[in-house]
Amino acid sequence: MFKYIFSLWFVLATFLGHAQAQQSKDTITAVKKDSIKPKTERYGLRLGIDLFKLTRSFSEKNYKGIELSGDFKFTRKHYLAGEIGNENKTVQDDHLNFTTKGTYIKAGFDYNTYENWFGMHNMIYVGLRYGVSTFSQTLNSYTVYNPYPYFGQSPVTVDGTKYDGLSAQWIEVVAGVKAELFNNLYVGFSVRMNNIISNKVPDNFDSLYIPGFNRTYGGKFGAGFNYTISYFVPLFKTILKPKEKKKD
Amino acid sequence: MKKIFLLLVVVFSLSGCEKDDICDASTSTTPRLVIQFYESAAPTPVLKSVTALGVIVPGYTTMSFNGSKILIPLQINDDTTIFRFIQNGADSDLTNDNEDILNFNYTRKKVYISRACGYKVLFNLTNTNTNILTPDSDNWIKNIIIVKPNLEIENEVHVQIYF
Repeated sequence: MFKYIFSLWFVLATFLGHAQAQQSKDTITAVKKDSIKPKTERYGLRLGIDLFKLTRSFSEKNYKGIELSGDFKFTRKHYLAGEIGNENKTVQDDHLNFTTKGTYIKAGFDYNTYENWFGMHNMIYVGLRYGVSTFSQTLNSYTVYNPYPYFGQSPVTVDGTKYDGLSAQWIEVVAGVKAELFNNLYVGFSVRMNNIISNKVPDNFDSLYIPGFNRTYGGKFGAGFNYTISYFVPLFKTILKPKEKKKD
Repeated sequence: MKKIFLLLVVVFSLSGCEKDDICDASTSTTPRLVIQFYESAAPTPVLKSVTALGVIVPGYTTMSFNGSKILIPLQINDDTTIFRFIQNGADSDLTNDNEDILNFNYTRKKVYISRACGYKVLFNLTNTNTNILTPDSDNWIKNIIIVKPNLEIENEVHVQIYF
């Protein structure tokens, strides 16, 4: 599974690289000669990992998950951003026990509302993501709901049916912060409100947990958050455009 | 920075909470068998009430019913439930008891309801009208008609019993 994650990472990185090239061309043409030493803006890829999923994988017996995140600044305020992850979660509800396994990818952008000093990449941001997940869900066991227990309470029935080839797509509204701790090392967290666009649910069962989307609530709504530590990999510098004076 | 960390702590502490879902009482779950009683002597169907009807599955407690409509549970782990319908069986007088044995055969289907309720079992009666009642020398039940072999909801009658 990690193999897939990494290969998807490279795909993501390729997209970002493409965006860079575009950006540098635009900025270079705008360079003007000046006696003052020009200010430079650093561009690079910020790569991170979700610490919450990581710690939970160690602390919880019924959860294994990882999420890698990345963003790349492509205008003064806008960042291309995305997450990719894999989850394996077993849930014990009152009448059901099931395991969801799957991979997800989210891609979109963040809009930074924070005014940085030069060279810094702190963020207080809002953003949008498009999320896709493919997963399987296994019904481990269930009890038949029995409000009239004349014959006694329903026993737990071991089932083990695996529902393969499930998928879901959703839109995520993100709000979060990223702050530089040390040189190029950032911590951040974000909260997410999700809304399902499409959801292929199993027959005679439901997608009760969707990797990346989290728990479902019967409707389209969902919520999530992450807690990241990330490293800014500087890739190149560009000289900042002086602000153009408005002509009268 | 302090504020950010404080916020992180808050978010962390909230994450442990998951809504405890409770299966709503109005949800249609595993249905009971709905039986309506009729007067066997009447030329057209006329409702007739039972009084102190005792219904028992051997090994379990006696259910007591009055009125013209009763709801009895079927076994969800077996394809057969055998009931003893004892006329006046729920009163203290043992001399007036009359026991008839009813044998219900069915197929079962598990159907998903929701996260909170899990699964329900729906039944499909495979009996014919004539092979439910075990004949004995003194049957108080005269006739049984299956009107709805598919047991899905409880607000409809599945079986009519004439006596």
